[in-house]
Amino acid sequence: MLVTWRYKPRKSIIQFFDPRAWIIFYACFIAATVFFWDLRFLSIFFVVALSVAIFSRIGWKEMRRGWLFIGVFIVFFSLLTFLTGRGGVELYTSEHLIRNISLPFSIFGWQPILKISWEKTFYALSMILRVFSLASMTILLPYSLNPALYGIIFKGLGLPDKFAYGMDLTMRFIPTFGRDFQLTMDAQKARGYELEKISGGLFKQVQKLAPLMVPVTIHAIASSEDIIDAMDLRAFGIGKRTWIQELHYQKRDYCLIAFSILMILTVIALSLFGIGKFWVPSALIT
Amino acid sequence: MKIPNLLTIENLNFRYLIREEPALKDINLCFSSGEVSLIAGASGCGKTTLIRCINGLIPHSYRGEKTGQITAFGKDLSTLKLAEISQMIGTVLQDPERQILGTKVVNEVAFGLENLSFSRSEILNRVDESLARLKISDLRNRDTFSLSGGEKQKVALAGVLAMRPGILLLDEPLASLDPASAEETLAILRILADEGMAILMVEHRVEDVLKIHPERVIFMSSGEVRYQGTAGELDETINYRDVKLPAPMIIDRVKKQKDVHTFPVFKLPEQNKQSLVSFRNVEYFYEEGVPILHGISLDIRHGDVIAVLGPNGAGKTTLVKHAIGLLKPKAGQVLIGERDTSKMSVAEIAQTLGYVFQSPSHMLFAPTVEEELSFGPQNLGHNKTSITKEVKEAIDIVNLSGMEQIPPLSLSFGQQKRVSIAAVLAMRSKILVMDEPSAGQDYRNYIDFMDAILQLPNFDAILFITHDIDLAVIYANRILMVNNGQLVADGKPQDILKDYDHLHKNRLVPTSLLDVNLKYLGKTGRFMRAEQIAQVL
Repeated sequence: MLVTWRYKPRKSIIQFFDPRAWIIFYACFIAATVFFWDLRFLSIFFVVALSVAIFSRIGWKEMRRGWLFIGVFIVFFSLLTFLTGRGGVELYTSEHLIRNISLPFSIFGWQPILKISWEKTFYALSMILRVFSLASMTILLPYSLNPALYGIIFKGLGLPDKFAYGMDLTMRFIPTFGRDFQLTMDAQKARGYELEKISGGLFKQVQKLAPLMVPVTIHAIASSEDIIDAMDLRAFGIGKRTWIQELHYQKRDYCLIAFSILMILTVIALSLFGIGKFWVPSALIT
Repeated sequence: MKIPNLLTIENLNFRYLIREEPALKDINLCFSSGEVSLIAGASGCGKTTLIRCINGLIPHSYRGEKTGQITAFGKDLSTLKLAEISQMIGTVLQDPERQILGTKVVNEVAFGLENLSFSRSEILNRVDESLARLKISDLRNRDTFSLSGGEKQKVALAGVLAMRPGILLLDEPLASLDPASAEETLAILRILADEGMAILMVEHRVEDVLKIHPERVIFMSSGEVRYQGTAGELDETINYRDVKLPAPMIIDRVKKQKDVHTFPVFKLPEQNKQSLVSFRNVEYFYEEGVPILHGISLDIRHGDVIAVLGPNGAGKTTLVKHAIGLLKPKAGQVLIGERDTSKMSVAEIAQTLGYVFQSPSHMLFAPTVEEELSFGPQNLGHNKTSITKEVKEAIDIVNLSGMEQIPPLSLSFGQQKRVSIAAVLAMRSKILVMDEPSAGQDYRNYIDFMDAILQLPNFDAILFITHDIDLAVIYANRILMVNNGQLVADGKPQDILKDYDHLHKNRLVPTSLLDVNLKYLGKTGRFMRAEQIAQVL
């Protein structure tokens, strides 16, 4: 059976708007963020994302797990780009060194040297702001959208009935998968299985994950078959569908949609003029 | 007004594409409106396949070779689309968990009507009507996943009833329900039939269904109809070892036929005071302020065979998950021997305590039954020779000999459940804990493996969660009753189960076997199975 995200009605900025309007805003926000590499522009998006998170009224306790996951993700990738400079090469051609740090160890006689440059630093900073803005806006959604409305939201955004219901099921599949994974983990632990003890080569390690991956996968397939049967037995997909929930746009929703469209158009215009590319304060590199 | 032959099945044969043996052979049946028909039979007898042929999932979702004809309301079903069939014939699947799609109860009940494109007001009217009919209007705006098993079953039924079918099919509707929920569901079905619906119910719990006086009882075995008639003559035709019949019926039969039974001798050690697992004031909650377990204190002692009884959602599973350390108490302590579970890993506890989960599908992964069974003992570091021996014995106990090389995932649900039990038996734990071992099993199978498990000399204590009071009557020497996260009774079966008021308060319904046992307790001296009572008398 499908379970849902931990949604609660809240007096939050997200729930102040019609969910469709918010999704449009969300999509435009994501697209706009992706256009920029300029730290100054990204800071604006960062501030917006941060304030939405603060005014989402979702307690830290509720979101902690999600944030920890994303936090590790952000830090790991930013650190990686900072250390290797990988990915940034397309954005800047020359580097201005701050200093070289020789690492206090060597690998097979090769002593790695960290080249810390202004470009790398700013690239990593931009990366952090960007990923944070994207992740933060995304992670708030499941806590703020009423699961009972998923279907009608997507229908209202113009998807056909079948796809809209499909999206509804997909949104709920993710937390359901999480629950099933936990159940399998528990069942195998009770048989003396310890994930921590997995060792050996890569192939061996993957093989030793079978007790987790096989039941979870098979269960997912079996339950999707059940879902299809249950839908078929109640005449799904035979024609036009009525949705018992209704959504009505208010004035504020039109405002938000207008703002979102304006935002994305501006961003496109700016980027056509070459504004918003990777930026390092010129004072630092001259 | 009764409409005869509302649904007729003529010369129906079916074989699944992937199987060699036919699943149904020459089925001829007809059903009238206003009647409850019970279809009974052991696992794999073809009951579910028959339901699928009627509701159109065969051939729509399951491919195979089908001959014969099924007509409903005078129409040949093979000429109709699934959506058209679904408006005449409603289906409630075995597990409501696998049927419920909606997030909220109201969405779930409205689902079929939405698909049929009724107007919004018509849909809402019908939803409210269905909910009211099943007396669950108060659940209307609840999240479906937060419902108890009994509530889920009723919501699934409401979703089907809202489409106003003339024929209702139910595939083991009682399987996951506590006795009181089962009784309520059955009462509703009786009313629906009396109002003119034709009801076909596949069910293992024959005794329960007989209470609502089904007009017709059908017994199937290996894809064929072996008996068709009234409930009265049922006991003459079917073997009481295959299907659970009411205890007085069994006693009569045993006496009449002068059947001689030998009964297993249970090998558990004498009960003594030595505590193996100890709960001390255990509290547990998922959300603060909503306790799931509250003030639980108890000891599992040497020689105990404990049945944990209680309604759906009482906290039984949460309680036993503490014993193996999958959950750690928010307050209080759980001790295994002298050690606190909060300082032990689950794998460590698994050395002494084996835990069989409710659902086998969450744990089976290996390419063969044999490998599946060796997984646990290997993790515990047993050596090769003993693993071979442990695996073989476990396979024998659950009656799966000959299936060692078969992939467990290709087995039926009942067989998978037995593999999951064997997988834990092979670990040779001193304490065995089972969450609803009999769920989805036919009578003969679960009686056989319960007998076999209790005859093993290696356990210090056994604990099982069950909705089947008879299982407690036959096997337990101690009852724990849980309700609302609290321990409401703890004692000998004779003392706890004789208090019918208390049972009813905890949504348990006395069975005929319990009745008979209490009646003859003076002569028998202890609780026993019906066959045994017959021989003592």
